[in-house]
Amino acid sequence: MTFLIQQTLLYAIPLMIVALAGVFAERSGIINLALEGIMIFGAFVGVLFVNIVQQTDVFMSAYEAGNWVTLQGLELLAMLAAAVMGAIFSLLLSFASINLKADQTIGGTALNLMAPALVLFLVRLIANQNTLRMSTGDAASWFMIKKTTLGYDRTADLGFFGNTFIDKTYIATYICIIVFIVLSIILYKTRFGLRLRSCGENPQASDSLGINVYRMRYTGTTISGALAGMGGFVYSLTTANCTANGDVAGFGFLALAVMIFGNWKPLNIAGGALLFGLFKCIAASYTSIDINGDGVYLLNELGLSPHFYRLLPYLITLLVLAFTSKSSRAPKAEGIPYDKGKR
Amino acid sequence: MKNGRLSNLASRDGTRTVLASIVSILIGLVVGAIIVLIVGLTSDNLSLTSAWEGIRLIFGGIFSTGRDSAGALTFGFNPTNLGNMLFRATPLIMTGLSVAVAYKTGLFNIGAPGQYLMGTMASLMLALGIPSTVVPAWIIWIIAFLGGILAGALWGAIPGMLKALLNINEVIACIMTNWIAANVVTWAFEISNFKNLVESTKSSYIYKTTFNGVETPKLGLDLLFPNSQVNGGIIIAILIAVLMYVVMNKTTLGYELKACGSNRHAARYAGINDKRNIILSMAIAGGLSGAGAALYYLAGNTEFFWSTYTSLPATGFNGIPVALLAANNPIGVVFTGIFMSMLDIAGLQLTSLTAYNEYITDVIIAVIVYLSAFSLVIKMLISGRKKKKHAAAADAAASGSAPAEAATSAGDDGAAEEPLPPGEGPGEDTEAETGKGGVEA
Amino acid sequence: MAAQPEYIIEMLHITKEFPGIVANDDITLRLRKGEIHALLGENGAGKSTLMSVLFGLYKPEAGEIRKNGEVVKIDDPNDATALGIGMVHQHFKLIDVFTVLDNIILGAETTKMGFLQRREARKKVQELSERYGLHVDLDAKVEDITVGMQQRVEILKMLYRDNEILIFDEPTAVLTPQEIDELMETMRGFAREGKSILFISHKLNEIMAVSDRVTVLRKGRCIGTVNTKDTNKQALSNMMVGRPVQLEVVKSPAKPGETVLSVSGLTVPSRIHKKDAVHGVSFDVRAGEILCIAGIDGNGQTELVYGLTGLEKPTHGNIKLCGRDITHASIKKRGADMSHIPEDRHKHGLILDFTLEQNLVLQRFKEKEFEHFGFINTASVRSYAERLIEQYDVRSGQGPVTTVRSMSGGNQQKAIVARELDREKALIVAVQPTRGLDVGAIEYIHSQLVAERDKGHAILLVSLELDEVMSLSDRILVMYEGEIVGEFDPKRVTVEELGLYMAGAKRDKVSAGGESE
Repeated sequence: MTFLIQQTLLYAIPLMIVALAGVFAERSGIINLALEGIMIFGAFVGVLFVNIVQQTDVFMSAYEAGNWVTLQGLELLAMLAAAVMGAIFSLLLSFASINLKADQTIGGTALNLMAPALVLFLVRLIANQNTLRMSTGDAASWFMIKKTTLGYDRTADLGFFGNTFIDKTYIATYICIIVFIVLSIILYKTRFGLRLRSCGENPQASDSLGINVYRMRYTGTTISGALAGMGGFVYSLTTANCTANGDVAGFGFLALAVMIFGNWKPLNIAGGALLFGLFKCIAASYTSIDINGDGVYLLNELGLSPHFYRLLPYLITLLVLAFTSKSSRAPKAEGIPYDKGKR
Repeated sequence: MKNGRLSNLASRDGTRTVLASIVSILIGLVVGAIIVLIVGLTSDNLSLTSAWEGIRLIFGGIFSTGRDSAGALTFGFNPTNLGNMLFRATPLIMTGLSVAVAYKTGLFNIGAPGQYLMGTMASLMLALGIPSTVVPAWIIWIIAFLGGILAGALWGAIPGMLKALLNINEVIACIMTNWIAANVVTWAFEISNFKNLVESTKSSYIYKTTFNGVETPKLGLDLLFPNSQVNGGIIIAILIAVLMYVVMNKTTLGYELKACGSNRHAARYAGINDKRNIILSMAIAGGLSGAGAALYYLAGNTEFFWSTYTSLPATGFNGIPVALLAANNPIGVVFTGIFMSMLDIAGLQLTSLTAYNEYITDVIIAVIVYLSAFSLVIKMLISGRKKKKHAAAADAAASGSAPAEAATSAGDDGAAEEPLPPGEGPGEDTEAETGKGGVEA
Repeated sequence: MAAQPEYIIEMLHITKEFPGIVANDDITLRLRKGEIHALLGENGAGKSTLMSVLFGLYKPEAGEIRKNGEVVKIDDPNDATALGIGMVHQHFKLIDVFTVLDNIILGAETTKMGFLQRREARKKVQELSERYGLHVDLDAKVEDITVGMQQRVEILKMLYRDNEILIFDEPTAVLTPQEIDELMETMRGFAREGKSILFISHKLNEIMAVSDRVTVLRKGRCIGTVNTKDTNKQALSNMMVGRPVQLEVVKSPAKPGETVLSVSGLTVPSRIHKKDAVHGVSFDVRAGEILCIAGIDGNGQTELVYGLTGLEKPTHGNIKLCGRDITHASIKKRGADMSHIPEDRHKHGLILDFTLEQNLVLQRFKEKEFEHFGFINTASVRSYAERLIEQYDVRSGQGPVTTVRSMSGGNQQKAIVARELDREKALIVAVQPTRGLDVGAIEYIHSQLVAERDKGHAILLVSLELDEVMSLSDRILVMYEGEIVGEFDPKRVTVEELGLYMAGAKRDKVSAGGESE
């Protein structure tokens, strides 16, 4: 059970944070189809950051001394770097769709094509192969929080809660949860949130009330870019052993689906992300899932092809969308370029 | 009126579209060159000379003939490259047509990779599965080709149905069906007996169709372009492009599809079955992608890597830039498809001859797609704002109504009095086409 | 308070151009403190543009704006608000999914550390609401409240910002006669308190009733400013149109024939909320009569038409057209005996990116005349389009090949009217056929509809304009909350009486079905 929850969270957290990225863009009126591309870019930036910084003596010696505070700091810095570069990358989308009033779907697609191409081009030059890895070691040994990290004995039992939420976890998971909650509150309880949401519904009204629609949309899309960039790195850190290969396996698009499924509302999105995280988790590790701890790997013994489990998340997404699409309600003005006229 | 004819030509929409595409291409190539230059300047193990070589290959890779004995790049007529270019253009033209036809119906077909994979699976299984001892090879070819089309069409119809009947965004549906296709195809080949076991060096590949004696006829093109993979497929692709042009522009079917794409509500109002047309359009789009896959893999000299569940075929995605660059004109797609495959060849030359790699051409393609997103702006820059104003005034005058009435054209519903900002006002008709995403909602 | 300048707002020599159009040409408008100043003009005369300039939405090419004699710069709505200028837009600027309270405070929020302080705002709004008798439900979502309440929300938005110069852009279009009276009273109250009001309208009755002075615009130019008490309706009307106007539609009495359309118990669901938009409606339309459905916007008229024309599936009841049951027929099949001038010409009526000729065969391109073996017969489409353009005087830049988007609204509407009337169907459903058009186009379309009636076609007219209802119809049904609440003869009913029915204050028990089963 512990294993199942932990694995599910590993997939659910990036989905959740990237779906929230989608919310911030779409609530401001911009369809951010580029989530996938920004994730790819963010993953690359974060991994590259880790790769380079690892080679400095400070972190090498911190690693050898078991100074986990410093290592967690490195993880946070890498997340920050990914977020910043994700935000900058998303400016390409903002510029095209806000200033040039371009088709947002095409603009997003361009970014989705650009990110893997650019990343692979650079990775090939840097690493001479198609995957960029950490300079030394692996994600688990550098960044994972374990019992021993916190001074417990290797065999200590921390109880169900401790085993599940403290042992073998990443701090990134909790940072993402905090960011998710804080941003959700901002979206609903602050002046900024109210104004941002108004721009996605009726920008003409916002404009008539003196709200700068362009600035709001830039802000929304930039926050979106930052979250997606960070989510991309968190994904690669926790599920891909901190490597970057110009691919996040459609996670950005899954996040979009989660966003639609969650009706553009944070709470529903959190629920949706957990559901999809569970199916992703099953697909990735169904052979080692022991639900009730009796040593029987039920899903494995069903003898179904791994491809069945692999296509399950996508199939479920379609089915869920089929059932929820009738009641789903997108921000009314999303995807429509706002032109306030000659001023 | 000195250069009246010239300005007349420039003001024509088609001309401006072509010019806008050329500008996009040039900017894309320049961006690629700049990236190569920056990398060359900042990297220790790459010299400025190699950057220069890289840039030359980006622009002229198709005419590359390797290096001479002194190690300098040589350029010249290279029939092999040209032949390969035409061969690789074949599936790109088809996926480009696929995206273009869907786009005319207001659908963004990002599902071409999945449709391409399903087409691949069906045509390969048919080509290898029907014993050539019983059925003549050319009949197998035709069956496999049609099977590929059918499989692609069925796969394309799924997101079409989800869109038409349940109003699920076709982009999301296409992405999901893409990944489902990737897993289904891998699964199907894994349990099939078409895996190439003869050549032990090749794992995860399917037999070439020549294993069963099936291959696309060369139609003499191999004599024109010796040592290349080219075959009659390119001719078939061009014929299909012409066919699609006729269907979209001359027939009532094309009229219906475009009506649904331009304004689904109005189409419905007029008694056109919008749901049927959306499904039909996606099925046609899927069929075109499937046909592209069939033409590529029935060539006889290509191999399919079947363990493909972690990645989607780039040929599918590249249909998007091919279509956008051609402004979704089926005839234009032929040219842009060939251009894209030319870039492809240049990328290969880059990998084999320099320290750079082929991914830079993907960057260039992405830049071109990005630019095509606002081709409207580029077109406006080409025609120049001054002339536009003039045209608008002339139009207003020609309509024979007072300026005040012309102002009403902008109003949607009773807001008639408020002249809309430029971009939607009178005289903007020619530019309005690409901006339709913003108008219908 | 000694040397108050005479005018609180002066707009001097304002010129605003759009590509190809001079929307405002050297217009001067002076507003006195505490007066109600009407701005009169046809659709397209430039009234809204002028107000958008005052409100900071458009920047004029020439001219200046003064407040209390001092030149001010208004670059955006924030500047306007800072100067105390507020505006109720013709199309409400409300966020449908927000609550009334959030809509009122949006853009002028009280915050602590960025967090909204809704409680304080609520108190202020409640005070204002009570003081001016503007009742609203602060916690309801805007999409759930009536149009009248939405307008009160808009007014409260201005009051919440302490505006002293209030602009009302065509505020009466969506109200019942009684609500209009209330609004007039509210406006007079504001004026008594010293607030200055700009009242934009093309309705002469209202202007005569409420304003102190009138400025008339025509085709972007200022025709003049007059004291209301020194003028009369006919004079104002002549100033507005530039020629004497026939205020009444000329038509002979109707000679109704047999029943063409028979609707009984029709129920149509709503797309907006879960309830039925049309509930158990029954009526007949006969050949040679114009039956008009009157009512305030949003009382089910749109959905009734959707149900009749097939754009929405009815859940109950049945529809008979020319003796055929068409309740479940496809739009195409209904089209055999019915033509439809839709409410929204851009959403349903036209494909803006198609050419005029393509639009003119929108329903007919598959008919034998225009199709050969699946191919479009371009030549016959062209000659057909040319005939319609000629016959209905549709003006455009390049004739049949003009992209419809580039045509003026009046000519777009004429194209639709041409297409629908030329199909010569037994029933013509016309929904707000003159919306947003100038007097010339309105007169033309009215005369065409009367001509069709006289040819023996049945006409179902849905209109929100009571003037149009009264002058054009032979029989009136009033719709309120999805039901028909009364049937009237236009010659025997007053506008006030209709208003009571439209507002739901009165209703007749009998089902207004004429000879329905």
